[in-house]
Amino acid sequence: MQGVSAPREPTQPVISTTSTILNMREKEKYIEDFDFPFCDESSKYEKVAKIGQGTFGEVFKARQRNSNKKFVAMKKVLMDNEKEGFPITALREIKILQLLKHENVVNLIEICRTKATLHNKYRSTFYLVFDFCEHDLAGLLSNVNVKFSLGEIKKVMQQLLNGLYYIHSNKILHRDMKAANVLITKNGILKLADFGLARAFSLAKSGQVNKYTNRVVTLWYRPPELLLGDRNYGPPVDMWGAGCIMAEMWTRSPIMQGPTEQQQLILISQLCGSCTPDVWPGVENLDLYNKMELPKGQKRKVKERLKPYVKDPYGCDLLDKLLQLDPAKRYDADTALNHDFFWTDPMPCDLANMLAQHTQSMFEYLAPPRRPGHLRHHHHVAGAQAKPAQPVQDSGYQDRVF
Amino acid sequence: MPYWYYDKKDLQNTPSFRDAISTDTENRYRKEGARFIIDTGSKMDLGYNTVATGVVYFHRFYMFHSFRTFPRYITACCCLFLAGKVEETPKKCKDIIKVAKSLLTEQKFASFGDDPKEEVMTLERILLQTIKFDLQVEHPYGYLLKYAKCLKGDKAKLQKMVQMAWTFVNDSLCTTLCLQWEPEVIAVALMFLAGKLSKFEVLDWNGRNPKHNAWWDMFVEDITMELLEDICHQVLDLYSPQPQSSGGDSPPAPPVSKQPKNDKKPPSITPPTSVSPIAVVTSKPVLTPMKNGADLKIEPPKIEPIRYTYPAYPGLAAPYPPPVYSAPPPALPPPPRLALGGPPPPALVYTEPPPAPPPRFPPVNVPPPNYFPPPLPGRGPPPPGPPPRPYYPPP
Repeated sequence: MQGVSAPREPTQPVISTTSTILNMREKEKYIEDFDFPFCDESSKYEKVAKIGQGTFGEVFKARQRNSNKKFVAMKKVLMDNEKEGFPITALREIKILQLLKHENVVNLIEICRTKATLHNKYRSTFYLVFDFCEHDLAGLLSNVNVKFSLGEIKKVMQQLLNGLYYIHSNKILHRDMKAANVLITKNGILKLADFGLARAFSLAKSGQVNKYTNRVVTLWYRPPELLLGDRNYGPPVDMWGAGCIMAEMWTRSPIMQGPTEQQQLILISQLCGSCTPDVWPGVENLDLYNKMELPKGQKRKVKERLKPYVKDPYGCDLLDKLLQLDPAKRYDADTALNHDFFWTDPMPCDLANMLAQHTQSMFEYLAPPRRPGHLRHHHHVAGAQAKPAQPVQDSGYQDRVF
Repeated sequence: MPYWYYDKKDLQNTPSFRDAISTDTENRYRKEGARFIIDTGSKMDLGYNTVATGVVYFHRFYMFHSFRTFPRYITACCCLFLAGKVEETPKKCKDIIKVAKSLLTEQKFASFGDDPKEEVMTLERILLQTIKFDLQVEHPYGYLLKYAKCLKGDKAKLQKMVQMAWTFVNDSLCTTLCLQWEPEVIAVALMFLAGKLSKFEVLDWNGRNPKHNAWWDMFVEDITMELLEDICHQVLDLYSPQPQSSGGDSPPAPPVSKQPKNDKKPPSITPPTSVSPIAVVTSKPVLTPMKNGADLKIEPPKIEPIRYTYPAYPGLAAPYPPPVYSAPPPALPPPPRLALGGPPPPALVYTEPPPAPPPRFPPVNVPPPNYFPPPLPGRGPPPPGPPPRPYYPPP
């Protein structure tokens, strides 16, 4: 863009900035002093500890300074390297969180700001402020002293599916399901968190397909359709993640820890069988079907390989239904909630008692690395213990529908 | 939760007014800012929703800040920039500024400072805080189409009426109506106006019941004729000669020595045109009806301001007198504000019409809210509450 600060010809009547509109200093003073009625200063909270790294910024535990001393989680909106101002991903997350109000979805209390001063070039930093949850599921699972009974596992999964049912009914895809994004309060209430990659979806209209980015979902929880390049996906992507998380309730670590997309597909095939048009009609039309190396002749061994961990036959059966290769056959949240797993003894039971034995917060971010011991009997992939590759945070502009 | 609707008294006592800017001047600034957002947005092929969202941000912003503190055109750019991202139609900041520059005189563009992009970036944070991150805004357009689908009568006339109403909604963005009334109410009023002017009398409608005196009773309860006429007048006033502007193109310093006036514009006239918003219903939404109003600005240099006279209709004599209120406005805040007098207004009741709603959010295959199967005794998770309306435009 040229000519922005081109010198003006002296003959041009230039707006006298000193008399008509505020001059720069006055404006800075104004911004500094303006008491935004709807946006409190973040100093009303006192940071206690860093508890995580969200998709677009750090997360802190903080305590309200006023009398009630309530704990909150504050997620910083990362604005560095943002050429286009307030990130569109953060705007999406805010819109989605303002829309979603449900017991099993994390609650956004408010958005706070730091004071604009000369120090920050008159640009505030923003924080999303959430109700504080004591634990995340990854943190709990990595602690060997935390033991879930079958009824408690059912309660976790039931709440998780309730949350998914709610967000999917509201036409929202989470797109980053993983144990670390499942929060649990000390009272045993589960909350889906981190909507930094979430988006609204619509079912493809006739003659028109959606083109969403497939560079979402942490690799270990990424469903086969995304790995094969599908851009017209929907709620089943979250259901695959729910299946991975459910298995993890017993295995205690992510069941498929591929270091690369190719390896992840191989691990999936070793568990769920080969991706063929037989079991998955239409798979041959996906962009990468012919470009990725797909193991041939693999048999489906979901129940067989999970049985050693998941003794409960209903649990095994539900896992089988969630870890379906074909997204069209994968159970949706509603069907899953009606599965016998949730309606046979032992019935889902409250987590509060079990959690009461643990007085310390457990977050993946703070926990020591989890044991690599995922599923037995499969090829160990080098580097599998490494942290899973994070979903690629698209700049927002790429994530549009083209 | 801030309440984004104001009564007339609040709309007078604004930060600009307290900053020695007269109400007339402020209204002109609002109109010019809104028109500028519409023009810039249309030139960039942004849809009417994005443009309207930007304009609503603009009007809300100046309920908290003075036009003296924040010059209107750069604020307008910032509102459009943010609206673009919120409505999933993002435009690069530098492109918006480029278009803005092409639409403004050099003098007006000077208010963007030496580094316009940096100015917009700083302003964006102020805007977000001011509007409380209330990003999602509803507009009358969708309601207009929804209501139109229920009306019976001659198809061609109905279509003409809706397209006129659509243009009125476009133009209503230049007023402060979005700070006074819910989009449903504005849609009813402007469709009422279009019906009068295009002589389309609504005699029957789908979903009519004996309690309905007029078609709009089906959608919004207890709209009085006074209210409808007040809203119509506010839009029609746009088309009558403007009071001579009491300020220049930039906010005057308090002791005003008359500023030289620059490129004073006659009122922009946007008579209803022949683009059919109905077409949006049936075919691909390729057209942005917004654009048409915007393109039709008449800017003759030195002629008397053109007066666009609509056929008069009973109840609205021309020249339009200032609206007369039969009763003082109700005490604030009575959410949702409705009748202009009488007993406290009852809550808005939106009756669902039998036909499908307009295609703003395409019907999709979602399970209906209460579709959890009736639980077996002792089983069945508590069904989550009815899902709120979807809020993204369809991709």
